[in-house]
Amino acid sequence: MPVQYYIFLSIVLFCIGVMGVLMRRNAIIIFMCVELMLNAVNLLMVAFSKMWADAGRVDAAGAQIFVFFIMVVAAAEVAVGLAIIVMVYRKSQSVDINIMNRLKN
Amino acid sequence: MNELQLIPLLPFIILAMASVVTILLIAFRLSHTVIQVTGFLMMCLVVFATWYVRDTLPEEVPPLFIVDGQAALFTGVIIFCVLVIGLFSYIYFEEREENPKEYYILLFLATLGAAILTISQHFISLFIGLELLSVSLYALIAYLRNRNNAVEAGMKYLVLAALSSAFLLFGMALIYMEAGSMKFSGIAEKLPQVSSSPLFLMGLGTIVVAIGFKLALVPFHLWAADVYQGSPTPVTAFIATISKIGTFAVLLRFAQTIHLQQYPLIIAIFSVIAISSMIVGNILALRQQNLKRLLAYSSIAHFGYLLVAFLPGNEAGTEAAAFYLIAYSITLLSAFGVITLLSSREHEAETLDIYTGLIWRRPVVATILAISLFSLAGIPLTAGFLAKFFVLSAGVQQAVWLPLAVLILTSVIGLYYYLRVINTLFGTSGTADVMQKTVHPFFHVSTYITLVVLAGMLFWIGVFPGLVLQGIRLFLLLH
Amino acid sequence: MQQYLYLIPALPLAGFLVLSLAGRYLSRNFIAGIGAGSICISALITILLSARFLQSPPETGAYTQVLWHWFSVEGLVSNISLRVDSLSLVFICIITFIGALIHIYSIAFMREDRDYARFFASMNLFVCAMLMLVMADNLVLLYLGWEGVGLCSYLLIGFWYETPGNYRAANKAFVITRIGDTAMIIGLFLLFKELGTLYIPDVLARATQHFSSGADGVTLIAILLLCGGMGKSAQLPLQTWLPDAMAGPSPVSALIHAATMVTAGVYLIARMHTIFELSPVAMQITAIVGAVTLFVAGCSAMVQTDIKRILAYSTISQIGYMFLALGVGAWSAGIFHFFTHAFFKALLFLAAGAVIETLHHEHNIFKMGGLRKTMPVIFWTFTIGAAALAALPLVTAGFFSKDQILWYAWSAGGGHPVLWALALAGAFITALYSTRLILVVFWGEMKTTPGHLPSRVMTVPLVILAFFSVAAGWIEWPHNILHVDLFSEEVQHVLPATVLKEGLPAEIVFQLIAVVVSLIGIYSGYSLYYGQSPLLQQWKQSPTVMSVRDFFFSGWRFDQLYDALIVRPFLFITRINKSDISDKLYTAIANVSMLLNRQFSVTQNGSLRWYVTGVLIGILFIITLQLLL
Repeated sequence: MPVQYYIFLSIVLFCIGVMGVLMRRNAIIIFMCVELMLNAVNLLMVAFSKMWADAGRVDAAGAQIFVFFIMVVAAAEVAVGLAIIVMVYRKSQSVDINIMNRLKN
Repeated sequence: MNELQLIPLLPFIILAMASVVTILLIAFRLSHTVIQVTGFLMMCLVVFATWYVRDTLPEEVPPLFIVDGQAALFTGVIIFCVLVIGLFSYIYFEEREENPKEYYILLFLATLGAAILTISQHFISLFIGLELLSVSLYALIAYLRNRNNAVEAGMKYLVLAALSSAFLLFGMALIYMEAGSMKFSGIAEKLPQVSSSPLFLMGLGTIVVAIGFKLALVPFHLWAADVYQGSPTPVTAFIATISKIGTFAVLLRFAQTIHLQQYPLIIAIFSVIAISSMIVGNILALRQQNLKRLLAYSSIAHFGYLLVAFLPGNEAGTEAAAFYLIAYSITLLSAFGVITLLSSREHEAETLDIYTGLIWRRPVVATILAISLFSLAGIPLTAGFLAKFFVLSAGVQQAVWLPLAVLILTSVIGLYYYLRVINTLFGTSGTADVMQKTVHPFFHVSTYITLVVLAGMLFWIGVFPGLVLQGIRLFLLLH
Repeated sequence: MQQYLYLIPALPLAGFLVLSLAGRYLSRNFIAGIGAGSICISALITILLSARFLQSPPETGAYTQVLWHWFSVEGLVSNISLRVDSLSLVFICIITFIGALIHIYSIAFMREDRDYARFFASMNLFVCAMLMLVMADNLVLLYLGWEGVGLCSYLLIGFWYETPGNYRAANKAFVITRIGDTAMIIGLFLLFKELGTLYIPDVLARATQHFSSGADGVTLIAILLLCGGMGKSAQLPLQTWLPDAMAGPSPVSALIHAATMVTAGVYLIARMHTIFELSPVAMQITAIVGAVTLFVAGCSAMVQTDIKRILAYSTISQIGYMFLALGVGAWSAGIFHFFTHAFFKALLFLAAGAVIETLHHEHNIFKMGGLRKTMPVIFWTFTIGAAALAALPLVTAGFFSKDQILWYAWSAGGGHPVLWALALAGAFITALYSTRLILVVFWGEMKTTPGHLPSRVMTVPLVILAFFSVAAGWIEWPHNILHVDLFSEEVQHVLPATVLKEGLPAEIVFQLIAVVVSLIGIYSGYSLYYGQSPLLQQWKQSPTVMSVRDFFFSGWRFDQLYDALIVRPFLFITRINKSDISDKLYTAIANVSMLLNRQFSVTQNGSLRWYVTGVLIGILFIITLQLLL
């Protein structure tokens, strides 16, 4: 399968993520959309790694290792992020991002 | 990789150990003071370690890291900042309801992230450093969870930082596709074939998003004021200094390795970003009544100035940028130090009316704030003047006229709001005397002395820049 | 010795810092100790330094000390570094030595003043700035000192700011000297553009290679520098500020407006002598400015009634002599006149201050009189000073220096009989008004009863100055009389020797004429003002004479002239321009900024969704830019 398909799929996933972050009001869903974007990149990375491995580069596995790093970091981000969202919920009984506009000019 | 190559990494290993040691200290239920002092000593140890390994520089630790003079220089500045911020944190958090101990774990982790950025030469280390910094910062910003705005600030930073790192990764993936390597030097080798490819350039463009976000450059600046305002003041100081120094260091290394400034597109992007940052930052600050927000806008403008030194991509530019970052960090640390010192348990000293007539009530503190504002405004005999001067002279060498013209014009506009704050300091006092904190006399006094020393350094660098410049040149030669 | 050079300006600076930061909390004795002490120690160091300098001159001809390096951009090296050669040495000696005496005098003079600390702080800052001016090895630092002395002059003229009019005098001095300063800074920019350096020895060395003699570029630069000198040294046409500057306390007049600051222009020209020598036109202009100024100011001095204004006009006139000497190429004669003039004019101002103080702030000389018996010390010292001013032959310092200038005004390379004639007329006038001053103030009947007499702290500096007003001339004799030329020998290490014309009459002829003219001047003063002179009464009746007198009294109506030529048209323009058209640009910038501020503030609305949009807009912008380029 040519690599363009992967690129196309990833870009679609990425854009869905971006749109979700932009459109949704629920903080948890926004967070999920960010994860979706990260996973789109993961897919891209694995595809490129395969592409370069086929092209004969010995260090192409590095990109796959990078994917694991991204997953770990995403997990850490979720841990901290969900904690913050819980705090938000405790304070205002809602996870709607539109109510968070006390800090402004 | 062998153990010899680990030696140059010693300072970073000690820095990583600092958070582990802090965790252990907490596990043994030791007091805040012990943690503070241990943290201080650990940071001093990092400085000594840097000194100890200086002869081995520059040393590459393949594939992720390279420890050279530039890295040591920026790490040094970062450690200096964290020393000062750690000291400020003590009196600040002792006043607050939250248990302060875990704060130090996060502080050291975030510092480690920034320090890793200075030595990274690979996308993986860049990403890890950046995320280490970001994730710790989410928690740091929202640390005082019962305060009104901390959680909101944390949430905003969280969503936007996560979004920008997604773009960073996307850009990295695109560049990897074209270049087949994630090491900066590997990309540089492939440049002749790929430099005209649109996907490669798009990858560079999306990486700019993440960098621009961390440096709070227009149009990725919108978070800055809210987060500065909502965070605990020492954390604000951290975001304003360490986080930006680390990010700028990695930008500089990336640009140097792949000669970023040779692409007219990148120059165009950075010029537009620099110009709009200078204009928007300065103009937003004009009527701001909240000192923390004002400093946020001012830092947007200042990183616009800094990009003017980055644009030429020459040695003078690097030197000017390093000098600028040093001067800027000291200036902001003293400004935020004053805010920390004046904040009480009930009130964060952020609105300007608290500062009305401060000079008559707390002359020393007010003078320090005035000096740091003078330095931000770039008045001669302060470090800020020379910093701006070196940026100008670096820019003139490569004739980047438009950004230079904007720099000069917006500096004049900027003068307005700095002087407005100074004017407030000299106003007739309306509010009652600020309560003197004597709960922790030792730390109170040491904070005070630190502030005086910082203000003295601003003058010292402004009048005798020779030593600092020499130091910078010496470090930059080690590459 | 060289390594202690920095102490000379650093001590006054330290004095300034202590007094201005902690002056409120210090006792008067302590303030006096710091204020005068810092200058006295500087003076001591200077004396040691000069002794060493004269005994074993440094090989390069100058002591140098680089204190630190501030910043540099391609050729423009801004070092804080000092350089003392024999020209600077003369100035440093005068500044610190006379400065120390004046500070000691001020301890008693200003004793009753409310702002004791402010006075000494400003005076110390002035000394520091003046020393930086003459010790600077580059023109940037020189300019820093130049502006520093201007600032201190402003602060000290307006020292008694509560008296109406004083702040006006301060403003006038500031604004008028600023005209000269502006010309000078343009001159410095041009100099840098042409030569690529502002380091003084390099400037002088490169100028000769870079410019051919009489080239337009060098003439322009020399004239611009001259304008700077004219502003600072109160030469025509920028002289009008100095008489008004007498609003400051007398020690200030003595130090700043007689001995040191007003001679900064002389220093600048002497320092830049190579530039001036390359431009005969500029030299001629310098000489003409000097000659005309000395005559014009001398005439005004003849008819003034305020004792300090007489001295002020006399100062302008004497600096005119210095400019004349520099202009005709008699470099060392000009500096020598500065040297002697500093002593006797400081003496005159201090003595006048003592008189004014004793007579309850009476400035009008016709309300003084008869003080010979009551104030003998003041009388004798004042007389010595006036005699020096009148150039009483052989016994006073003023004679030796002025005689040289008169001789060179004809005989030097740039000399001319007309210049000589003007200088000779000036000598006559000087002798006349000096005599008038003495006779009116100290003879006749007493018109105001004196208060308590000046203390010893005030009289001792006067006596010392009086001694030097006599003795300072003996180090340089006219060479046809006695072969003593210590001063010019030393100064000629730096300044070029004076070239004489050929086929001149013997020097002795000129000297005799000069002596006779000043004696006639003294005699005319004596006959007019000793007792009741019928001639004077007759003149007072004559409307022609009185209108000439009024003309001179108003300083040749220069103030009215400027008022009509510049101030009125300017006010007229401002009246037309009430809506401030020229300022529109700046208000527009401010208004646009404020407008934008409102617009941009809307973007900071706290909504996370909008912030995300901001990031996306940024990305879209980058991608668009990519597509476009």
